[in-house]
Amino acid sequence: MSEASRREVRAGLEPCLARIWRYALVLSRANDAADDLVQATCVRAIERADQFIPGTRLDRWLFAILRSIWLNEIRARKIREGGGFVDAEDALSIDGARDIETNILAGQVLKEIGQLPEAQRETVLLVYAEGYSYAEAAAALSIPIGTVMSRLATARAALTKLK
Amino acid sequence: MNDDDDAELVALIDNELDETRKKALLARLETDERLRARYEALGEAGAPIGAAFDALLERAPVARLRDAIPPETAVRRASGRFAGVALRELAAGIVIGLLAAGAAAWVALSLGLAPLEEKDDWRSAVAEYTDLYTNETFSSQNPDVALQAVELSAVGAKVGADLTPDKLALPGLRFTVAFMLSYEGSPLGAIAYVDPEGAPVMFCIIANQAPDAPIRSERRGDLSLASWSRGGRSYLVIGHVPKERAVVWAQTLEKRV
Repeated sequence: MSEASRREVRAGLEPCLARIWRYALVLSRANDAADDLVQATCVRAIERADQFIPGTRLDRWLFAILRSIWLNEIRARKIREGGGFVDAEDALSIDGARDIETNILAGQVLKEIGQLPEAQRETVLLVYAEGYSYAEAAAALSIPIGTVMSRLATARAALTKLK
Repeated sequence: MNDDDDAELVALIDNELDETRKKALLARLETDERLRARYEALGEAGAPIGAAFDALLERAPVARLRDAIPPETAVRRASGRFAGVALRELAAGIVIGLLAAGAAAWVALSLGLAPLEEKDDWRSAVAEYTDLYTNETFSSQNPDVALQAVELSAVGAKVGADLTPDKLALPGLRFTVAFMLSYEGSPLGAIAYVDPEGAPVMFCIIANQAPDAPIRSERRGDLSLASWSRGGRSYLVIGHVPKERAVVWAQTLEKRV
């Protein structure tokens, strides 16, 4: 099984890169940290490919690895370096030159989400972009479902200001 | 109407309410105009979130990220017995700013990880990479006591030890950074100090369920090691220092940790 695991991880990494990066950016709100986080996730995934169970969700396995690295290693270091995440305000942004109408709204929404606390940003991403059910998000984040509910509600309430 | 209402309304919108609560909330919505307005506002506020996140995907630097994925052979050779070295090297790159960009990180990693020749124990693995540290590796790190406390507390939680700046303060050494590794599935905390010349000295703790053992010292190449085990954890002081000094620090730490 380990050979099958390795093959599946190797083959599945690349198609997941953009989504792993998005998760990394939502957590870190810094482009350099997001890149570091993605790369560390890939290294860890390849190292631990034997632990992946073929046929299960590779994307969620990768997300769990990324989150663990973020919480245990990179976030603490970024904070300790001082200055925090200087580009936090603008990190969650898109190129507004294309498809103007769609992107203006998307840009506003992302800016608003970018100003939410990390826990809310993460929960919103997992549920509304990655399709986690509340129960799945609660399990992934090790929090009660009620906390998932309140984080999503607070985030949506913040977005009502855009109206 | 309160925050709980918001949470319930959003759960209703997301189709995540159980039947009982859903029924109750729908009944309230029938009669409560303000609640209904809030329901609509929250629904509209959430509608564009998915598309906004999708737009973010287009910004992902996929080509650059793809190029930075290390070949499997490099990672597997590097990790071998010591799962976590690879990541530690990356993390160190972030700390020190040496391994700033994609490919550079794993190239340095590969260079830094000569195959482990000895097969005896975790101390060999630690010795292998301690040997790679230079006087510049940790010298620029100078966290204040509050940050030291945060880092030590996080590492301590992982290895099941109560670590504080006071307990970890060692004569003639300056604390620089604490970080987590893992060795064959066991959490391994690493605390890096530097002496007045900047030479690194590591204090490592691994939760490996080893039987208790008193301090013993040894030399491996230019490195001095002083190690002991107690309470299901093993400890190691290691650095390019005289063996006697490593033992003195080990004795100090053994009493405090």
